[in-house]
Amino acid sequence: MTLLLGALTIGLILSLLALGVFISFRVFDFPDITTDGSITLGAAIAAVLLVKGVNPFVASAAGFCGGAVAGATTGVLHTKCKINGLLSGILVMTALYSINLHVMGKSNVPLLSAATFASDAERILTALKGGDTALHVLGWEVAARDAAVLVLVLATIVLAALALYAFLRTDLGTAMRATGDNPQMIRALGVDVGNMTIIGLALANGLIGLSGALLAQYQGFADVQMGIGMVVWGLASVIIGEALVGTTQLGLVITGAIMGSVLFRLLVAIALRAGLNPNDLKLMTATFVFAALILPGLVARARKGAGRA
Amino acid sequence: MLEVRNVFKTFNPATPNEVLALQGVDLTIERGTFVIVVGTNGSGKSTLLNAVAGSFFVDGGRITIAGHDVTRWPEHRRATLIGRVFQNPFSGTAPDMSIAENIALAARRGRRRGLAWALRGNFADEMRARVRGLGMRLEERLDNAIGSLSGGQRQALTLLMATWCKPELLLLDEHTAALDPKSADQIVRLSDEAIARDELTTLHRGRIIHDLAGAEKRRLRVDDLLARFEEVRRGEQLDESAAQLLRRAYV
Ligand SMILES: Nc1ncnc2c1ncn2[C@@H]1O[C@H](COP(=O)(O)OP(=O)(O)OP(=O)(O)O)[C@@H](O)[C@H]1O
Ligand SMILES: [Mg+2]
Repeated sequence: MTLLLGALTIGLILSLLALGVFISFRVFDFPDITTDGSITLGAAIAAVLLVKGVNPFVASAAGFCGGAVAGATTGVLHTKCKINGLLSGILVMTALYSINLHVMGKSNVPLLSAATFASDAERILTALKGGDTALHVLGWEVAARDAAVLVLVLATIVLAALALYAFLRTDLGTAMRATGDNPQMIRALGVDVGNMTIIGLALANGLIGLSGALLAQYQGFADVQMGIGMVVWGLASVIIGEALVGTTQLGLVITGAIMGSVLFRLLVAIALRAGLNPNDLKLMTATFVFAALILPGLVARARKGAGRA
Repeated sequence: MLEVRNVFKTFNPATPNEVLALQGVDLTIERGTFVIVVGTNGSGKSTLLNAVAGSFFVDGGRITIAGHDVTRWPEHRRATLIGRVFQNPFSGTAPDMSIAENIALAARRGRRRGLAWALRGNFADEMRARVRGLGMRLEERLDNAIGSLSGGQRQALTLLMATWCKPELLLLDEHTAALDPKSADQIVRLSDEAIARDELTTLHRGRIIHDLAGAEKRRLRVDDLLARFEEVRRGEQLDESAAQLLRRAYV
């Protein structure tokens, strides 16, 4: 049960990463590798602030802002300096590795004694319930802390997803979606495609930075290595989500990305439990995304071949 | 209204692929007139339209629209003055977005885009009424993705979007070329209506069908030019049927 709760919570936290990847890869069709650096940046900023005793809410917001600045930088490199999109992301990600080390001052910042959103959630719950450290949900006994954290994370994700959905239906948000869909058209309608890309990447990496900030607080540390391969992780979640909902309707796609992230994390937890070597995790993730990318094409070709025969 | 003065544009200068596309082009179009630019393939008609729309900056000369010197304005800024329909029916609309959202985007052409709902409540009725005017029954499908429509339907919507907010200048880049004769007819009728209703100034790129020496420089009244437009269009259809005849005879 604890394992399940943990996987669910991390899956929800990483669904912010999935939403960010959804914006850059799907809305803008921009292969944004900044992700690996911006999730760590969000975690690093939040961790350092929390150690200084800053309020967890403010620290998380600062993580969002840090990610947003990183994303905007990638956007400026791509649109103003005319650097290839993939390369822009790689440049910023590489630079961020050093920046993250500077922010943290060392390669790992533990949050054992700092007040985090997790300890806040626990405190609120004990205040409400009065001292009891275990809860009974559907006949299961769960640690109060775990349940409180899950509820708080769930509330955060629902709020973030609703805000994103609402934003993408405003004048600015629709212009952003059209920028990815048909830049020629939206330019002829008076939208500066470059600026729109910068804002979009800032938003995407802001969400990713927030995801990192929450992840650091949940797992109790920020580590300079924690971002490696996260872009592929996010992509895997988005792909699973698309398969789950099977439409391009905005609300459903956003819901799908969140569900995909949770499901993927659960699958990984189960696989690890069943004896998968943690060292193989990134290999498995990459293989999964690879398969998801080429399988639809192969299936279509096989069908066509069968039709002709 | 539109003034193009001594405009130059060279593609790939100082390379073996150098193309002197525009060499000292002068063009004046009065408000409310309809001008067709004709010329052989590769003579620079699209390039002229793109220069006016701002797809690239010209190497020399000056372009003025409605009193604004737009020579150094980027394309998105010129969009405050220009409505545009492309030759390719897929160029003018965002395929994954709904008809209503596409129109909402066009309704804010050249204006600030903030955090107000794109599909405001009071907007739906006007949208339905104007889409009904196209006579394609699309008003019942406002929530459908534009990508699910035919080329003709998409071009009709692009035209509606280009003229949704009255533009100072309407650029039509051979916008019926990719359509079948029936859809082309419809688009021409819709263009006529929009142009007559809003007394638009229009620059249209047509293909050459007979020798109109110096026609680029001629300035005519709307009515003459609409007639001429019809003529050009019929010529294009003739062209197509002739091509079919040849194909039938030889293939
Ligand atoms: N982006 C570009 N780069 C290089 N050359 C170009 C570019 N755009 C146009 N040209 C060249 O400029 C010349 C004029 O092209 P343009 O497309 O304006 O002709 P057009 O009159 O519209 O022809 P058509 O009737 O075939 O559409 C052509 O020789 C073309 O190859
Ligand atoms: Mg051309």
